[in-house]
Amino acid sequence: MKMHFGFKILCALLLMYVAIFAFLTPLSPALLQTDLSEIKPGEHSFTLTGYNTHFAEGNNALFLINDSTLSIPCTITEVMDNSHVRASVTMPNEIHSKAFAFVLNNQVDGTVFLESPMKVTDFTVNAELQSSQMPKFQHGEASFFSYPYQPIIMESIRNLMWHVPMWFTMFFLMIISLVQSITVLVKGQRDGDQTIVAINPALIRPHDNKAAMSAAVGMVFCILGLVTGSIWARFTWDAWWTKDPQLNGALAVFIVYSAYFILRNSIQQEENKWKLAAIYNIFACILMFVLLMVLPRFTEGLHPGKSGNPAFSQYDLDSSLRTIFYPATIGFILLGYWIYNIRLRILKIEQDHENL
Amino acid sequence: MALSLFSEIRLLLGKEWKSEFRRKDHFAALVIYLLSTLFICYLSFEKVADGQTWGALLWVTGLFTSFNAMHKALDSSHHPQLLHLYTLARPTAVIISRCIYHAIQIAALNVCSLLLFLLFFGDSVLGKLDWGQLITGLVLGSTGLGITLTFVASLAQRTGNGVGLMAILGFPLVIPLLITIVKFTRLAIEGVTWASNGYQLMLLVVLNVLAMVLAYLLFPYLWRE
Repeated sequence: MKMHFGFKILCALLLMYVAIFAFLTPLSPALLQTDLSEIKPGEHSFTLTGYNTHFAEGNNALFLINDSTLSIPCTITEVMDNSHVRASVTMPNEIHSKAFAFVLNNQVDGTVFLESPMKVTDFTVNAELQSSQMPKFQHGEASFFSYPYQPIIMESIRNLMWHVPMWFTMFFLMIISLVQSITVLVKGQRDGDQTIVAINPALIRPHDNKAAMSAAVGMVFCILGLVTGSIWARFTWDAWWTKDPQLNGALAVFIVYSAYFILRNSIQQEENKWKLAAIYNIFACILMFVLLMVLPRFTEGLHPGKSGNPAFSQYDLDSSLRTIFYPATIGFILLGYWIYNIRLRILKIEQDHENL
Repeated sequence: MALSLFSEIRLLLGKEWKSEFRRKDHFAALVIYLLSTLFICYLSFEKVADGQTWGALLWVTGLFTSFNAMHKALDSSHHPQLLHLYTLARPTAVIISRCIYHAIQIAALNVCSLLLFLLFFGDSVLGKLDWGQLITGLVLGSTGLGITLTFVASLAQRTGNGVGLMAILGFPLVIPLLITIVKFTRLAIEGVTWASNGYQLMLLVVLNVLAMVLAYLLFPYLWRE
């Protein structure tokens, strides 16, 4: 079998690039929390906690923004360190609405937000109210290449580069398996009017080997996807396992393909094995699409972009994530194909050895 | 091959019926199995407090009974007379007639199961139940199970270790159908309108059609050496 080295080099380079940048790219600065639990007219003093911010290195300007029409300047009383700052604010009696956000700006971090962190009481709401001019903000210099900060997900957003490509790779390998299974059936077909034509094993066996090995490697990626997903779920959804339709669908896919291998191993007669395994594989692959692409669309789940689209929408993936995510996907698909090729050659050597 | 596909199917179905009537103990055995399963459920649950459990229990019982029915089918298709007919008919007629036959059989068993449920667990949780939806669900669930399991039974039969492989091959394949039908039944018990149960209904129909198309396309490869 002639092998081409190009794709292996590409695969190794892509995965090295992904391994480095997936871990080293910083998260965008953000405001985490405040100890201010309630605001009413009058003076308040409070602490703001930031994440990856540089309060001590910049000229900070802090505002309370009300519905992006009214801005109330806050006075920074003390910069404790890069991620903690003390400030005070005097609230007027009249406000525009009850939606508040802290907005902090300096020349290093740019602008960071914290939306509606506290209870709003005792104000007169006046929808006509407006600030004569909104503050001007300066652009940050630190965050030119960083992952977006998402509450709850936070640093675990790096798992996107590992968890999601596993599923793409599994799909890729299972589709190879499906195509090879169909080939087994088509090439192994007997003549129309039931005259028995001997099937040439050399013609069918390679396709059966390919179907089995790609499904086997696909199952490994399925396990890896489940494991990375489980770790991610522990951090974001607070449980190792949840009742998410996609998660349970993935486990069902794993069970279906396990049944495929049990079926293969329980048949001794080779010709029979090829045919029956191919038929079951076609069922399994279509079931995979039903379980992972169709059913999650009709069930409420925890995965992003649910109820309509069981994947990432364009809003979830910003450009800095894309520059790592797409190479990661291609890299892992190539890796899956590479492992599949090696497994196939090992199997072929074993079979040749048996036939000697 | 003088007969059309349609009349072949009708002929095979007629033969299946006759063979079923000759062996009344088959169906009776299944009903006894159902009765004892439900009796065990009744004794261990004592009462079912909510619609979710009621619906799920109905379908879990239905699933096990269907598998049992298919085990019987694995034996009875060795019936010499039918086997002879199978060799004469075209494979698509065989698979369609067997699917129809088993769908009807499983639907009948599920109706028995429903009646026994009402007997044992009462209808206290079914206050808001939409009967039309429940019956539709029963029919679509039974046909889905019938088609999928008939195909899996034919596949398992060819391995020479039918009964052992039947459950391993069959259970994973009916998972999507089961998820959908349990949700459909739960919503029917909660008394939602047809429109808000529409997704589930559509999925059930799609899964049925998908199973039938796959069985129809793949069975000729499976059939006959």
